[in-house]
Amino acid sequence: MKLDINGKTIEVPDAPSRLLLWVLRDELGLIGTKFGCGAGICGSCTVHVNGVATRACITPLSAVAGKAVRTIEGLAEAKANGEVKLHPVQQAWIDEQVPQCGWCQSGQMMQAAAFLQQTPKPNEAQIVEAMSGNYCRCGCYMRIKQAVARAAQVNIAQHDEVNA
Amino acid sequence: MSDAKSSQKRKWRVSRRGFLIGTGVLGAGLALGYGVGLPKARLQMAGMFDGGIRPSNLPVEPMQWIEITPANKVIFHLSKIEMGQGVHTALAQILAEELEAAWANIEVRHASTARGPVDANGTTGSTTVSSNYNSLRQIAATMREMLRAEAAKLLNVSAASLVAQNSMFVAGASKISYGEVVKAHVGNWELPKDKPTLKTPSEFKLIGKPAPRVDLPAKVQGETVYGLDARLPGMLYGAVAMPPTLGATLRRASVGDANDQPGVRKVVIEDGFAGVVAESRQQAQSAVNALTLVWDEGKRWQQSDVDAMLEINERELVAIQQEGNGVLPSRGVGVIEAHYSSPFAAHAQLEPQSALAEVQADRARVWVSTQMPSLARSEIAKALGMKDEQVDVIPTFIGGGFGRKYGADVGIPAARLSRAMGGKPVHVSWTRSEEFQHGYLRPPTRHILRGVLGADGRIDGLTHLQSSGEVAGAFLPAAMMTALGSDFGAWRGGRIHYAVPNRYVGTKFVKLPARTSWWRGLGLLANTFAIESFIDELAHAAKVDPLAFRLKNVGNDERGERFRKVLTAVADKAGWGRPAPAGRARGLACCIDGNAVVAQVAEVSVETGGAKPKIRVHRFVSAIDAGLVINPDGVKAQTEGAIVMGISSALLEQATLVDGRVSANNFDAYPLLTMRDTPSIETVIVPGGDQPFGVGEPPLGPVAAAIGNAVFALTGKRLRDLPLAL
Repeated sequence: MKLDINGKTIEVPDAPSRLLLWVLRDELGLIGTKFGCGAGICGSCTVHVNGVATRACITPLSAVAGKAVRTIEGLAEAKANGEVKLHPVQQAWIDEQVPQCGWCQSGQMMQAAAFLQQTPKPNEAQIVEAMSGNYCRCGCYMRIKQAVARAAQVNIAQHDEVNA
Repeated sequence: MSDAKSSQKRKWRVSRRGFLIGTGVLGAGLALGYGVGLPKARLQMAGMFDGGIRPSNLPVEPMQWIEITPANKVIFHLSKIEMGQGVHTALAQILAEELEAAWANIEVRHASTARGPVDANGTTGSTTVSSNYNSLRQIAATMREMLRAEAAKLLNVSAASLVAQNSMFVAGASKISYGEVVKAHVGNWELPKDKPTLKTPSEFKLIGKPAPRVDLPAKVQGETVYGLDARLPGMLYGAVAMPPTLGATLRRASVGDANDQPGVRKVVIEDGFAGVVAESRQQAQSAVNALTLVWDEGKRWQQSDVDAMLEINERELVAIQQEGNGVLPSRGVGVIEAHYSSPFAAHAQLEPQSALAEVQADRARVWVSTQMPSLARSEIAKALGMKDEQVDVIPTFIGGGFGRKYGADVGIPAARLSRAMGGKPVHVSWTRSEEFQHGYLRPPTRHILRGVLGADGRIDGLTHLQSSGEVAGAFLPAAMMTALGSDFGAWRGGRIHYAVPNRYVGTKFVKLPARTSWWRGLGLLANTFAIESFIDELAHAAKVDPLAFRLKNVGNDERGERFRKVLTAVADKAGWGRPAPAGRARGLACCIDGNAVVAQVAEVSVETGGAKPKIRVHRFVSAIDAGLVINPDGVKAQTEGAIVMGISSALLEQATLVDGRVSANNFDAYPLLTMRDTPSIETVIVPGGDQPFGVGEPPLGPVAAAIGNAVFALTGKRLRDLPLAL
């Protein structure tokens, strides 16, 4: 079957029971999307499917047929000259020095990017609500909250339009 | 996997000062290594544990090494693992400070066991920065002076006229980069005759200033390679049959239908081991279920068995602290007694155990997410019947350690399966259920506290009787544990840090049916919870404010003075003594761990209206004297993280044994704290001495006690069991 991953069409063997997470990671080498629980609870595996934050560890391949999948590897903007322009969320993650071990952070950033696309000017309560389904065992929550607020000051829509 | 590209090993020649100068390989360049000041490391260990535990094998090779390349890069090959605690950044700051290296030119790498240093201590106990600080400064300054002498020759100026800055020497209009110096150098490097002069703290440009973490650019782009991410061409995936109950052993195994499952390449049944290798991870994990397995299950352990094993019988305790009159009687005039407990807890690090192995007939390479590459190497070598030198362990970044990534773990089955596949690389990782069932847990503890108040709000006698599942005992030889008599991991944080004339701490440790061992801070959280909650009880009994009570009892020595400063700092910041916002109250607790002094104030409310009352932490203030701080933002980040983990532990986390299994298989039965319940956290860094102390664990100590004490202040109910519940 054909998959649309980060704007590229990729052909993979069809098998309905296969999970998006392991196809991304083990077959396509997109290791930035992480495994945490395998049950859709912790959020480490969050990717975008048609722009919606989705848990790849419980998403069968069949569910993404004909849909656009975006992973952390596709979040930054790759410029023609080979340079990479970080997504405002990624930049905010650096500016706020968010990650510790970093394992959950791809999922956190994908969750945040999808949220800000839908809610460009969130208040604190909305940020907390949107981000409380993602575990961070290092306990970076305070900085994650600050980074989402910081990223919201940038025009996310503009970045994503360029990137799409 | 940077360091794995070359398995070449440098030849080292020992200089008269004990540094090692690398020669021979990798073309031009200068590399210096050093054994981390072992006497100091030993002293710290003894100071921390008071149990006389020492690294069993002394390193014979340099533990860190530093290379300057002709391209003017500084490559810092570290045996210390980055698992989020920020050590790569802090050590790079120390190196750059004395070397006068340009920050942007430094690249930090994990050293593999074959190519780089062997580090018997691993990355544990919040000791990385403190144990490296002095040696690293010496070596960096020495390197700078060696480069200076060479640069002086090249520029034909006096060495004294050269100013080192930004990986470059400047003298008037002439300048030369470190890279150009090593490129031009011919022959052996010689160490300078005199010890280099180290900077005074007032000369520091990097140490003590917030530094951006060197590992973050890769982490925000999802490029960092952790154990689960290790990949090789043609790799396969393995899964292993795991015992259905605690302590079960495999009596018989046969292939069953496993060979007929899709993608299966091989079923491996060896002595007590049954595994499957398949083309995908999902296929391997599901094919294991098709094996025919007969287990000897043994006893179906229940939580009540654990509770009975932990019961405290005063006669079987071993004293770890004893001054004055000895154990206080359980009853007597003025004796106050209270019992505390803490449960089994999981590390719940989000990256599961993961390893990729490639095992040839005479050598093996294994990529592992491990805090202890040297231990992982010897465990894998033993399992394969190889010598240590035949195994190269290539440590990856760690997706959450917290004590759980200690040794080889799934590196062993990965290696066995790879060997069975004739050397094809095999990756093995655990599911979340395997993590909960087959890892090891933080042991449950029981505590009996007794106190007697003296005149004037002083404590006259204090006794802490403690029992715990084993911690260090899980990894150290039984003979050593017998000789020690107590488990320094289990009683970490359990000694009485108040100047009480009559004080006694007695402990026992038990091997429980579920494996227990290291967990961030070891016994620190549970022991500090018991002691600091009880101190609060004594303060209330004495009718003295809990802050004033502590200030009065911490003693008048240097340590007491440090406590007073930190307690005062946290109280000032938190507004102690002023009314809390409506519906809230504050609680105070403190500890000393690895020489760092921490005091914290929690501000809580209790929400009613749900099924049961909910404790909510609104604000958390933490003050720390961690000695000399290398990266203040790193101290803040570690404090914030420890407090979140501590609140999660204090309010939510608990595992029990049910019918021979751990009660949780996933986060539905073992939820962690989320952003919704995370308070605002403020960190106060109290200026300390001229040596750094660890910060990864100490701020975890007082968290549960601070919350419990706040709940008491608010409701009048004393909560003595973790997790705290009203």
